[in-house]
Amino acid sequence: MGSDGAPQEGFLTTTVDTVVNWARSNSLMPMPMGLACCAIEMMAFAAPKYDVARFGSEAMRFSPRQADLMIVAGWVSYKMAHTIRRVWDQMADPKWCIAMGACASTGGMHRCYGVVQGLDNFLPVDVYIPGCPPRPEAVMHALMDIQEKIRNEYSVAQDGIFGKEQPDIAPRKPSIVTPDGKDTISPSGLYTQ
Amino acid sequence: MPQHDRTSQSPSTLPFNFVPQEPETAVENNPHEKATTQVDTVISALEKEFTDAIGETVVYAGERTVRVDASRIVDVCVFLKDKQGFNYLADLGGIDRFTEDDRYEIFYNLVDLNDSKRIRLVIRLDEEKLSVSTLTGVYPAANWNERECYDMFGITFDGHPDMRRMFMPEDFEYFPLRKEFPLLGVPGSLPLPPQEPTGELTMDPFPAAHGSKPPKSFEEVQTTDGDEG
Repeated sequence: MGSDGAPQEGFLTTTVDTVVNWARSNSLMPMPMGLACCAIEMMAFAAPKYDVARFGSEAMRFSPRQADLMIVAGWVSYKMAHTIRRVWDQMADPKWCIAMGACASTGGMHRCYGVVQGLDNFLPVDVYIPGCPPRPEAVMHALMDIQEKIRNEYSVAQDGIFGKEQPDIAPRKPSIVTPDGKDTISPSGLYTQ
Repeated sequence: MPQHDRTSQSPSTLPFNFVPQEPETAVENNPHEKATTQVDTVISALEKEFTDAIGETVVYAGERTVRVDASRIVDVCVFLKDKQGFNYLADLGGIDRFTEDDRYEIFYNLVDLNDSKRIRLVIRLDEEKLSVSTLTGVYPAANWNERECYDMFGITFDGHPDMRRMFMPEDFEYFPLRKEFPLLGVPGSLPLPPQEPTGELTMDPFPAAHGSKPPKSFEEVQTTDGDEG
């Protein structure tokens, strides 16, 4: 695509990663691991008022084979932990995990013998949501964080360098064009005060 | 009206362990008192039928709690169900009093659904002999409550059809609601799942606090079976 504006003909070029990440991030199928009251907020998150269909994640998949995002909503007992790990292991790669609410993240108010003190004791968690329970907006924000994470993933580090060994490249970050359109600024600087 | 005025105390002057005190009220004008728990006729009938097996009656907030000899609890419940109309066992559970003698207590909340009456029976068990006859023959609803009581306190119920643990895993060795049981459990008694699909069980109850995080699925060690070989 030329730098002078619209493409001349009906095609544009991109990388496979960009297309794959675009498709993955906009069609996340959550596996709702609803264990307690957080599951009610998770239902609201999928229901029409908050309408997660805008993000392409409205299709809750109760089969781990069809899901790629596990939302663990609620406190996790030591007995249930084995089941969750088993469901997680059955999900196909690539997969992501959200620990929804204080209980799933840290054990929350259930500081006792029967409740696992944080989901990350046995699952690799990508996003933690605070709250007891979190608002559906918070769950949507977590979903957008997962999408952001997916969009910055890359699969082939040596693409286009003709077999020459290269150090691992950092994940691509989106860049923002300045208002005059001549320069780009890093978005990471925008969040620091 | 309460004697002390709580509104005059601003929150900053309250001590950390401030506990609001309920003002003393006479028994006859207790606001929590309900007519359904006025079962003095039932208690007198019990004392007439089982003279020596009925102990003291404790009245708190208008509720009658009757101490019963542990060996006669089934007979007392049969009498209450058949003769007094208490047709519903609302609750059953254990209490650890943590005393030298008669350490454990089991309470039975019985309800008469037709005449709206409630009574609570209490038996006491010594640590030496932690077993009592089951109530499932009288009230089938006692089944799961007695299993829970066994799970949490280790009290066995003779004649129970299915004396298994209710909540904790079958191979758990402790009784969590006993007072000597630590709040966060016994380390290693409840294993966590493996950190990787082919790994061993995690015996540390808090691996994340000790710096161990489960690897991402794409970082897991590839096994030699399947397509990877």
